[in-house]
Parts: sequence; structure tokens; C-alpha cells
Amino acid sequence: MRISRSLPPLYIGLIFTLLYLPITLLVINSFNISKYGYVWQGFTWKWYDKLWHNTALKDAFLHSLSIAFTAATLATLLGLLMALALYRYRFPFKRTASALLFILMLSPDIVLAITFLIVFMALGLQLGFWSLLISHITFCLPFVVITVYAQLKGLDRNLLEAAQDLGAGERSLVRLIILPVLRPALGASWLLSFTLSLDDVIISSFVTGPGYEILPIRVFSMVKVGVSPEVNVIATLLLAISLVSAMLIALLLHRKKDEKT
Amino acid sequence: MKKRNLLLASLLTALSTAALAEGKVVVYNWSEYIPDGVLKQFTEETGIKVEYSTYESNEVMYAKLQLQKGKGYDIIVPSTYYIAKMSQEGLLKPIDRKQLTHFKNLNNSLLNKPYDPGNQYSVPYLWGSTGIAYNADVIPEGSITRWADLWDPKWKGQLLLTDDVREVFHMALKINGHSANSSDPKEIGQAYEKLKTLMPNVLVFNSDAPREPYMAGDVNLGMIWNGEAVMAQQEMPNIRYVYPEEGTIFWVDSFAIPSGSENTAEAHKFIDFMLRPEIAKQCSQEVGYATPNRAGMKLLDEKTRNNKTIFPDSSVFETGEFQSSVGDALKLYNDYWEKLKTGH
Amino acid sequence: MLRTACVHLRSPLFSRTLIAITLSWLGIFVLTPHLLVMMTSVLTPDTTNFAVWPLTFEAYTRLWEPLYATVFLDSLYLSVTATLFCLLLGYPFAYLLSRLGPVWRNVLLFLMIVPFWTNSLIRTYALKLLMGNRGLFNDLLMGLGLIDSPIQMLYSGFAVTFGLVYILFPFMVLPLISSFDNLDKTLLEAARDLGASAAQRFWRIIVPLTMPGIIAGCLIVFLPAMGMFYVADLLGGARNLLLGNLIKNQFLVMRDWPFGSALSVTLILMMFLMLAVYARANRRIQRKGGLDDANFA
Repeated sequence: MRISRSLPPLYIGLIFTLLYLPITLLVINSFNISKYGYVWQGFTWKWYDKLWHNTALKDAFLHSLSIAFTAATLATLLGLLMALALYRYRFPFKRTASALLFILMLSPDIVLAITFLIVFMALGLQLGFWSLLISHITFCLPFVVITVYAQLKGLDRNLLEAAQDLGAGERSLVRLIILPVLRPALGASWLLSFTLSLDDVIISSFVTGPGYEILPIRVFSMVKVGVSPEVNVIATLLLAISLVSAMLIALLLHRKKDEKT
Repeated sequence: MKKRNLLLASLLTALSTAALAEGKVVVYNWSEYIPDGVLKQFTEETGIKVEYSTYESNEVMYAKLQLQKGKGYDIIVPSTYYIAKMSQEGLLKPIDRKQLTHFKNLNNSLLNKPYDPGNQYSVPYLWGSTGIAYNADVIPEGSITRWADLWDPKWKGQLLLTDDVREVFHMALKINGHSANSSDPKEIGQAYEKLKTLMPNVLVFNSDAPREPYMAGDVNLGMIWNGEAVMAQQEMPNIRYVYPEEGTIFWVDSFAIPSGSENTAEAHKFIDFMLRPEIAKQCSQEVGYATPNRAGMKLLDEKTRNNKTIFPDSSVFETGEFQSSVGDALKLYNDYWEKLKTGH
Repeated sequence: MLRTACVHLRSPLFSRTLIAITLSWLGIFVLTPHLLVMMTSVLTPDTTNFAVWPLTFEAYTRLWEPLYATVFLDSLYLSVTATLFCLLLGYPFAYLLSRLGPVWRNVLLFLMIVPFWTNSLIRTYALKLLMGNRGLFNDLLMGLGLIDSPIQMLYSGFAVTFGLVYILFPFMVLPLISSFDNLDKTLLEAARDLGASAAQRFWRIIVPLTMPGIIAGCLIVFLPAMGMFYVADLLGGARNLLLGNLIKNQFLVMRDWPFGSALSVTLILMMFLMLAVYARANRRIQRKGGLDDANFA
């Protein structure tokens, strides 16, 4: 009995240890005098100082965050609409639409990168923020649709039919019944999209212009002279901010719950 | 009233000259491949803004420029035979030598190479070589001198090769006594047969950061770029860099101007600025690769200048080869490469 | 079989807008590009103009060389193992998280994804640091006295699988967790009251009810993994060609766009074929449980 009770936390703990092990190394190396991080040569703030003065890298990082944030939000919204359309309605080319979403997930990055660039050039779109945003939204879409659709499938259809019989319109049905149920799926989709967008290299390097550099391109481009530990600093800062905000949110939610009871 | 007009007029002229001076140059290059300070100094002196954009491989840069028909960038930094490819396809603008007052600083032995005869399209920026690295803690000093030494069966499952068709074939072609730029199907076929016998020795292909496996202790012998060897030596002084007897691989990263460049004058100013001896010296020092700028090299400290890993003896130039375009034979190279990797 | 929730179009404007947005976005940004790819795949390669007339099916005939079968099978093997391990590890993880109550569930979910906001290149370098001959894993094993000398972990199949599972793990867990949220706890209680054993409850209730999540997670992990090669190259030593390498090479190095396109088209067709076979087999075996439409249709 006691073993079975302590097993779940142990398992969760093990997974988290594995997930955080590589990141811990990066955090440690962000304070390491050694540039290459194979040996500990002593503590330093110099990489933090260097990053502080590296405008190009800071800009790229901020660009990445804003693209990821906007793309994740819009992709979640658009994906929600698509999932609803695919779940609720019958329309011409429905099968084609769902097939296209699969194709999008299967297409290797390089194929998407080149074809996106060709389409943007045909549309006469200036390469930069907007072209990046559109492509990031597009490659995130299937992940959102699949996640949202899976949850819609778990929905009790009798509920919807009952609501309809009671005279609920399509919009209120979506707003009052479907959306509340979808909240976890929407959260998951946003996180998925944000993560995907933050890490894309190949597609981004083709569809962005000189005025709008993002972090992954800069990092991959550093291989020529050796990836600078400033990237570890960025990882550390991002981690620290996330952990602090997670704690704050947890505290807030806890207090809210206490107030309610 | 008149006075006011005059004032306005002078203000306007002031504004317009400022606008004129405020040109820009869009540089498409590896990240951190030109030190930040150098870019800032250029803007301070000339008023020309630098927009610095980065790519992760020559291939991506080339494909993107080709798709955009050479537009969007003013300066690119392709490696060796990409100059040949791109100029043949009309993607590069000829460089106007008259606008380059510091061109004479360049080392003649790095000019006029087969990839760009007469340097019509390219101005060398930094250069280096690909040779052999070994860890002298594990492998006896001086026991590795030739490419052929990598074929010794005792290295089974231990070598590092760069993940680059042309560089890997270079070894085999040179051992067989052929040019590394061969486009003769028979010679390439022979090289393939030779490489097939090397495959059991290979542990890893790496063209991202070949120094890493050496520094991590996972690999003690294999190919490496000289700049990476220098970086590795900073923490592992016992990493040795060897120019193989059969002939090393030379490469040059050069400035070039894409055919669709809209700021050609600024681009020339930029290249000329980069050719100044003190700037060339600064770049070489901070980036860690050799400068082709003879005047700049003289400014380097003695230790760097005499570092054979960075600046080889002239005898190395006699056997070594610069990569050049192999034309349609590239397909043959690649077919063999696929076969090597899939074991067919 | 249940029909898709039947709809009387009570607010046609609403539904029409949804449909219009769906079709136009997919049409412009997905259909057009992929029509281009299909067209390119039957043209003649040309290094300066990418692809030119005349029409030819040469690219497709080349695909029959046994070498490409090896590449395809290698990629398939990696994707399948990565997906299976992600599911095996992720399913209990998602289940446990979903039972924690909303606050902890959300916080832990967020914490799970945070490491993945770090650039994948340096994360993979960190994995290499862990698995190297002088890495933490080897130090640990030697410290425990389990081995005498370091074992070669990097540049092996183990390293590749480990890396892929590591990279793809959250993509399995996120869809799974939202389907666990749908799980009606009263059903489990009822089953227990009726005397169902833990195993019965798991296989008869939990698994079928979370099947949409399982399918979603597997698709999200498996499909993109087919085109991945970067992690495998860094951790496996790039001694094998994967589909991703092959296609990237055709576009960037060989400049044989028709062949690259043909590879991409074939990959998509093969996957559709596999999904169709799977869906049909499933329909036959299990008539209920929501497995019937892996294809949304």
C-alpha cells in the first residue's frame, strides 16, 4: 500500500529530473568561465555582461518571444475555429481540408520553407514580421486542430443535442457549452504552438528578411565561431522568469481557492 | 519672411544631406563572424548603417538568394566554391576594384584561385584549412602525418569526419594522387571504393562543431577545421593539428555583392573598410581564423603570427588544394555519398 | 456508427464564416504550396531555374532504388520507437498529473514545457555532455560501480532514441492530458462499485475514453518525427541517412528539386496509406471507442 502511494510522486519526480537535467547543465555553464563548458573553470558574470551589451542577440530574443506569443495566440484561435468547423459542419472539401492539415505536419521543414517563400514572393509580401507570423501560424495549426479535435471527440453529444432541442443557437452553443469544455485543450495547444514557434530555424531563415532576425537563426548561425555561452544566459533567464511566474500563479490560484471555500 | 525661408531652406538641405549620408548596407553572414565593434566603427566613420542578418549554412544562403533572384542583401560571405557557382549563375555583381583602395594589402597566394580567376567577384575575408586533429595524450606524438593514417584498422569505430561530401572525398582523391576537384567519373569511383574501406573506422560525422567530440573525450582522431582546432587547444593544449602530406583542404570565405544589391556603393565602402590592416587584424584576432591581409597579419602578435595551425608554412600551399566547383559531377559525388551512408 | 453531430444551420452566418476561414487559409498557405511541390516533382531538374519542362516521371522511377527503401525504413523505425516510448512514458505521467487537482496540474504542466523553450541546439549539446565518455551518466554508472570503464553511449541507437523521446515528450503529454480531463470520474467509481478490477477499469474504461488523446498524441509525435534528422544526426553521429537529410540535400546541396519534391510527395502518400490501412483495420476490430476516424472524416 505504501509503495503504491509513493510511486506516483516518484515517477513524476523522475520524469522532471530527466527533463531538467540538461537545462541544469546550461544554467551552470552560464556562470562558467570556460566558453566550452566541459570543465568548470570558476564562477563569472561575464556572459551576462556580454549579453547585456549584445544588442543584436537581445533584439533577436525579443523578436522570437513576440513572434512566438503572437503566433501561438492566433494559431490557437484559428485552430479552434477550424476544429469547430471540422467537428460541427459538413461542407465541400472537408476531407481535403483535414488531409491538408496532415500534409502540413508531414512536410519536411525545407519543403515548407521554400514553398512559403515562393508564395510570399508571389503575393508581393515584404519579408519580415508578417511573413514570419503567417508561416509560424500555419505550421502550428495542425497541432492545435488535432489537440482541440481530440477533446471535442470526448464531448458528450447528448449534451449538445439537448441544448439544441432547448433552442440554443449555434453561437451560444459554442460559447456556453463547447468553449468551457475546451479550455484545457486550448491551453495545451497554446503551449505546443509557443514551443514550436520558439524553436523553428529552417522555415524562419527562408521567410524572414534582414530587418527581423530571430533567436534560433542566430544561434544556429553561431556554429561557425562556436556557440557563445550568452545563449546559456538567455536559457537561464527564461527559465528563471518562467519558474517565478509559475510560483506566482500557483500562489494566486491557491489564495483564490481559499477565498472561495 | 525671407530670413525664415532661408532658414527653412538651409534646414532642408541639412536634412537632405543627412539623409544622403544615412545609407545602409545589408550584410548576410554567419553570426558573430564580424566583431560588433568593427561594425559600429564602420557606422561611426561613414554614417552608413549596417543591417546584419545571419544564416546557418552556405546552402541556405545560396538557395534563398537564388529564390529572391539576388535581391535583398548587399554583402554576402560565401565559402570558396560557392563563389564559382553563384557567379556562373549570375547571382553576383562584379566588384569594382577602383573603389577598393586597400585591395593591395591582400596576400597574393590567396588571390586568383580557380573558383574566381582574377577575383572579379570576390574579396577574401578569412581563410582556413581542413586537416587532421589528434589527441596527443592518447596517440603518440608525430605518429599521424597523412590522410592514409586514418585508414589503419586499429581505429575501428573511433574517427570523426566532417559531414561534407567534398571534404571527405578530398582525402581519398588525394591519397589516390588525383585532384580534389576531379570531375572524372573513374577517379570519383575509385575514391568511393577507397572510402568504403574507411567507413568501419568512422564513429561520427560532424560539421556543426567538430571540436566538440574531441573536447568531450569521445573522439581522439579525425578531421577538423583549423579554427576549431585552435579553439579546442585553448582548453586541451594536447590537441595537435596536422597538415596531411597528401595535401590539405583550403577554403576561403570571401565578400561578394549579390546581383540584386541596391546599395552597391555602400557595399564597396564596406569591403574597403574591412580591408584596412587594423580592421583585418581585429577580425582575425576575435574570430580566430587567418586573415588574408598581409598588412593586417603583420599587426598580429608574434605568437599568433607564428602559430602554424593558423598560418601554415608555404610548403603546405604546394600540396594543398582550394575547393572549386565540380559542375555536374557533384551529382555523382552525392550518389556515392548516399551509398556510403546507407551501406549499399 | 454515430453520425457527426447533425447540424441544423440555425446561424448560417456563424458556420459559414468558420468554413470560409478554414478553407481560405488552408487553400492559400497549404494547398497552393503543395500543388507547387506536386508539379515540381514531375518536371526536369535544372540547377539555375530549379525545375523546367518537359514533364518526366524520372524522379519517381529513381525512388525504386533499394537505397531509398533503407532510408525510409530507418526513418520509420526511429519515428515508431520514439512514438512508442513517448506514449509509454507519457501516458502514466499525464494520468498522474490530471489527478492532481487543477492548480498543481496546471503548474506542473507549465513546468514540464519550460525546458523546451530553450533552443534545441544547445539543449542537444547538453544531452551530449550528459552522454559523453566523460559525461554525467557514465560518471554515475562508474561511481555506483556498475561499470569499470565508460561505455560508448553517444553516437549509438540508444542516444538517438533517448534524444528523440526527450525532444518529443511534451508533444505527447499535452494532448493526452486534455483528454484525461474529459474522463468522467463517476464512470470509474461505478465500475469499481460493480466489482471491476483495476486492470479491467484501465483497459475497458480509461483507455477507450482517452483514445482520442492517444491518437492525437501519437500523430503529433509520429508525423513530424518522420522528417526530423537534426537530433538524430547530432546524437547518432550522422552515419545513417534519414528522410529529412535526403530531402534537405536534394533541395539545398544537389539542387534537384524534382527529386526532392517527389520524395516529399511519396512520404506523404505512404503515410496516408498507412493511416488508411490502420483506420480500416481498426474499424473492423473495434467498432466502437472512437478509433474509427483517424482521418477526421
